[in-house]
Amino acid sequence: MKRRDFFRIVAASGAATAAGGCQGGVEHILPLVVPNEQIVPGVASWFATVCRECPAGCGVLARNREGRVVKLEGNPDHPVNTGALCVRGQAALQRLYHPDRFSGPQRRDGAALQPATWEDALGLVASRIRELRAGGRGGAVALVTHLESGSLAALMDRWVQALGARPRVTYEPFGHEALRAASRQVFGRDAIPYYAFDQAEVVLSFGADFVETWLSNVNHARDFARMHGFRGGRAGTFIHVEPRQSITAANADEWIRNAPGTEGLLALAVLRSLVDQGLADRRFAEAVAGVDVARVAEQSGVPAETIRHIAEVFGHARPGLAVGGGAAVTGTNATATLAAVHLLNAAVGAVGRTVRFGPDSAYGQVTPFADVARLVEAMRRGEIAVLLLGPDVDPAFTLPAGLNFAEAAGRVPLVVSFTNAPNETTRLAHLILPATHWLESWGDYSPREGVLGLLQPTMAPVRDALPFGDALLRVARGVLGTEEGQGPLPWPTFEAYLRSRWEPLVGDRWGAALQQGGVWRETPAATVRARVAPVDPGPPALQGEGLTLLPYPSFRFYDGRSAGASWLHEAPDTMTQAVWDAFVEVPAETAARLGIAPGDLVRVTSPQGAIELPAYVSPTLHPSAVAIPVGHRYAPYHVGRYVSAPPTPMNPVALLGGAVDEASGGLAYLAVKVTLAPTGARRPLAILQATHDQDDRELAQHVDLAAAREQALRGAREPHALPSMYPPQQYPGYRWGMAIDVDLCLGCQACVVACQAENNVPVVGKAQAAYGRQLHWLRVERWAEGEPTHPTNLFLPMLCVHCEVAPCEPVCPVFAAYRTEEGLNGQVYNRCVGTRYCGNNCPYHVRRFNWYTYEWPEPLSVQLNPDVAVRQLGVMEKCTMCIQRIIAGKDRARDEGRPVRDGDIMTACQQTCPTQAITFGNLKDDGSEVSRLQHSPRAYGVLEELGTRPSVLHLRKVVRQHA
Amino acid sequence: MSTAVERRSPTFADVNRDVIRTLAPPGQLYYAWMSLIGLLLACGILAWTFQIWVGMGAAGKRTPQMWAMYITTFVFWIGIGHAGTLISAILYLFRARWRTSIYRAAEAMTIFAVMTAGLFPLIHAGRMWYAYFLLPYVNQRDLWPNFRSPLVWDVFAISTYLSISTVFFIVGLIPDVAALRDASTGWRRRLYGMLSLGWEGSYEQWRHYRRAYGLFAALATPLVLSVHSVVSWDFAMALVPGWHSTLFAPFFVDGAIFSGFAMVLVLILPMRRFFGLDAYITDRHLDAMAKLVLVTSLVLTYFYVCEIFTAWYSGDHFERASLFWKVTASYAWALWLMYFCNCVAPLVLFWKRARTSPGWLFGVSVLILIGMWFERFNIIVPSLARDFYPYTWGLYVPSVADTTIVVGSFAWFFLLFLGFIKLMPSVSVVEVKETIPAPVKEGAHAGHH
Repeated sequence: MKRRDFFRIVAASGAATAAGGCQGGVEHILPLVVPNEQIVPGVASWFATVCRECPAGCGVLARNREGRVVKLEGNPDHPVNTGALCVRGQAALQRLYHPDRFSGPQRRDGAALQPATWEDALGLVASRIRELRAGGRGGAVALVTHLESGSLAALMDRWVQALGARPRVTYEPFGHEALRAASRQVFGRDAIPYYAFDQAEVVLSFGADFVETWLSNVNHARDFARMHGFRGGRAGTFIHVEPRQSITAANADEWIRNAPGTEGLLALAVLRSLVDQGLADRRFAEAVAGVDVARVAEQSGVPAETIRHIAEVFGHARPGLAVGGGAAVTGTNATATLAAVHLLNAAVGAVGRTVRFGPDSAYGQVTPFADVARLVEAMRRGEIAVLLLGPDVDPAFTLPAGLNFAEAAGRVPLVVSFTNAPNETTRLAHLILPATHWLESWGDYSPREGVLGLLQPTMAPVRDALPFGDALLRVARGVLGTEEGQGPLPWPTFEAYLRSRWEPLVGDRWGAALQQGGVWRETPAATVRARVAPVDPGPPALQGEGLTLLPYPSFRFYDGRSAGASWLHEAPDTMTQAVWDAFVEVPAETAARLGIAPGDLVRVTSPQGAIELPAYVSPTLHPSAVAIPVGHRYAPYHVGRYVSAPPTPMNPVALLGGAVDEASGGLAYLAVKVTLAPTGARRPLAILQATHDQDDRELAQHVDLAAAREQALRGAREPHALPSMYPPQQYPGYRWGMAIDVDLCLGCQACVVACQAENNVPVVGKAQAAYGRQLHWLRVERWAEGEPTHPTNLFLPMLCVHCEVAPCEPVCPVFAAYRTEEGLNGQVYNRCVGTRYCGNNCPYHVRRFNWYTYEWPEPLSVQLNPDVAVRQLGVMEKCTMCIQRIIAGKDRARDEGRPVRDGDIMTACQQTCPTQAITFGNLKDDGSEVSRLQHSPRAYGVLEELGTRPSVLHLRKVVRQHA
Repeated sequence: MSTAVERRSPTFADVNRDVIRTLAPPGQLYYAWMSLIGLLLACGILAWTFQIWVGMGAAGKRTPQMWAMYITTFVFWIGIGHAGTLISAILYLFRARWRTSIYRAAEAMTIFAVMTAGLFPLIHAGRMWYAYFLLPYVNQRDLWPNFRSPLVWDVFAISTYLSISTVFFIVGLIPDVAALRDASTGWRRRLYGMLSLGWEGSYEQWRHYRRAYGLFAALATPLVLSVHSVVSWDFAMALVPGWHSTLFAPFFVDGAIFSGFAMVLVLILPMRRFFGLDAYITDRHLDAMAKLVLVTSLVLTYFYVCEIFTAWYSGDHFERASLFWKVTASYAWALWLMYFCNCVAPLVLFWKRARTSPGWLFGVSVLILIGMWFERFNIIVPSLARDFYPYTWGLYVPSVADTTIVVGSFAWFFLLFLGFIKLMPSVSVVEVKETIPAPVKEGAHAGHH
């Protein structure tokens, strides 16, 4: 070989390795559905798939650049989320590129894990099952996965049948079993209905956190915004009953703080009041004959007058919608509570209109918690010999401490986890067979009847991983000793099985279905009739003494499966604005009594155990309760780098005994009372917002509904013009601007993480964030007004408002901050010297400084958007209004020989917003949506009295004096 | 320090002897001080290196205090740099004869203070290696600095001030170094020879020298007012409540003179003691400087009252809230310390004994320096802590690195100054001689001339 040839080969293979990322050769990078020649360097390919961060099953478009996915967006064609994604969906990429992902199969050797080959690992599982079957103990094989509703579920059923294993368990920590049981009880239909929030005029929620995690949060948020947002003088009403002011509660026109566990009683009292006021079908009087409104008022702490008022508002709604069943209020009386809510819906004629059976939710297929508990019991008795835990299934973290899963797992000879990054369960597993991430996998998922979403690999696996379905097929072949194409499971791969199942459905339109992200069909509505019978949602059984514990699902981490993403830890919990650390919300009264100050480390003790968490003193929480978010945990790469290791688990399920709502078999999260004791230590929380009090600065503004109607009739807003000595700025081409509707913002933080993903915004960690050095270009502020115990909350998304007269520009000595001809406030990183004068002079403090060189632990750096510069140490940065998207949009328009049209360009924050609160566009085009909104009488510029003339205007929130 | 020395006017011979004595090889105490200073400076340099290496995060800055101790100390040193030129130029033009024995030390202080201050924009910049972007150098991209930015004005103001005061200083030194040249040997002779620019003391040279000196004095005079005005516009031109005020230029100039004189006193009093210069730096000198300190203190108090009054009278919510918070909350201690040091402590100078007592004067001057450092701190840190946007309100906490760098800057200044007093005549031989009676023959009537 000549020297020259040698170098050529070295260079070529080096390039291939570099392009291929961490694992695998270059030819595997691209998913098979797109031929290689279609990939143009510098041009993104988009792949439609389905988000699997929770069972809601939103459609996703993955933006693939040069073989690697760099951004996720909602699939606008998908009926569940129509283009939006929540905070967890946006952050899913960080689990794809999780630095802790296993590099391949692992086998436990004492405390350590040793790498294994797929043949050995799968062979081991197969031989073990074969032995069991030979011994007639096939039933000792248990398969547990999260909710799967498509081909994988069907395959697993076949697998279990072919191998004679135990019936598979579909484990979801938030399984909504009670909702299903209540439907069975009231309507005789064993299903969870579809809730059409957008069709309602009044929404009455009994603890359902539907803009956070309940059922399908993106779908509900979008529909809720349609129903509740002020439009054309009309706006729906939302009343929320919950002991804690959750994000959902904060969005209510009227938040009613009840005693924990009295939601069902209140629902019945409202029904009773409806009947009494003649607003409901007389038929339902029978169900509430024994209900005494005054007594309920006493038990729940909600005045009888309020109950009557709710009934009046709800009864007059055309139609109304009552929902219930958030995990935090799911007690041992959950089924009765939800039966009462169902009756309420039936009584006002909401069933069939806003509560629709027919498109039943996939949640109905979840195995009730009681059966999961039975499996754990069987494990403890030694009846289980092989336990297969599907991808992300983490019972050691999510099951109540009372079940003592770890101890039970110790009695299982072979625990196999298919999770691809370390978690509490992989620590117990004997064998780890990392499954491909859902962005690397084939599959399908149907979140509700009529919506069949398709998953396809959007890129080659980051690490050596095997699709879960493939692993099952290979194990089955090993057990049965069959060849490919034969036996009960003849398919060589899961992809082949998927195709065979979709063949009759789509025929030759497979490609189109893939492109669309699935297939949507109308489903016939099922008519149901309520069985009117008294229900008794008496007080839930609570174990222990002290304050009632409300463990609520975190909107950032769900049950903990999303918590590996550092973006989510750094996106603040909207209500507390705390990042990274978990906390226990202590009511102000209790805190004062026990001498607990914010940030004090508090020992929370239940009959099951104790955990230590820093206190967040809450003025709004019901005095008889404490609340802890579920799902808080750190990935190994977080600890030390971003945050220090907590001394105890942070998940409140460690305090639960595992009490069950008998009627449904669902886990009662509202089941224990706890005592609090300050430990004397401190662990101050990193809270990004200095105060929730605006100090009369009118940053977030609101207007009364009546006034908003009147203004809407009167017409456009008066432009806020201060006299100026200078001629107005000229914009030869476009002038970009934004309108953000505070009335629509629910505080879900999706935009914050979308911006972080799009613009290569680094993560700084707890200590730096606590010291005001977080780098978010966009933040969602919470401002509280009125009574501290019962505040009106305003969520204000704040980003660079691209002032026309920008205070940051004249002070920059080197023109790093300058005004573009298109009305943007530019920032030239290469020119920036880092005097930080602009940061001082920006009254909004939206400019961010690179205090350090920030790093993206490998392979998270692969996610970096190639269209956006990664900023150097010592430079200032801020929102660019996604300049890279503006340029791409203009390029596209130029190629097509036309000007940019309204809606061509969407910023990352706008794109993901479930409520479409953010609108971007050309202010020079009078016909554009953003121009229309900026002329709305509700429009105002934050701090515009300073003469900054923001290009981003906000629209006032519309509030109601009385709900 | 015999009473005889104080009573008797020094003769020309005394002047020569006393001044040259200050340049004698230093003692152990001097080396002890120099070692301590060298150590602190080394720590400062180390801290700066560390900060450049890891980034500005090493300093305690944050949102909202993007500026903190570095700019505080920068403005402090610029302020210190004011007294020298004031004494040498303005007092020269006004023919205030008491300046003669102190102006040399004051001028040196000015230059060293500006040299110290000049470091801070570099220390402060996130990418100090690109600080030259602020200079209007010719480049192929036609990129210029932003002449609207007060930071660019700073660059011009400070570099002008530094160059004029350096030239002024060097010109003033010429006759003295010539005298030293004639009295010294070795490298000192070469150095003095170079600096004396061939001075022979001819009539022609004296004529030119006087002309030039007066001209430079006239040139330097407006700079005394302009430099600190420009520095004050760093703040006044910004929007921040507590900064955005037309009061700032005179307010800063007065504060600068005030702190500058305090620093002159802090430097001169020990010098007088250790070098036995009581005959040249007499109580009359101290009294005159103390009176200036007292006047500037009273003026400063007036400005403080104005500042508070305008904040209140404006009715502006942000100004009022900012003021109220500064006076009552987290950083209130710094504000009240400043009021005490700058407004209350100097009042003892109404008492004549205090004005002429080195102990009292030294104590008051040190307090004033502390007070004036905190004045700049109070303008920068608490104002930013509570500006327009409550979301980002927060408190600045100094870090080890930025504290060490600030301490190191003091070490740097004293290193320069201590070096200077052993290298150059710290009392002007020529000008002091001008103020004392010309020597006459032994036995002649003392009252002659």
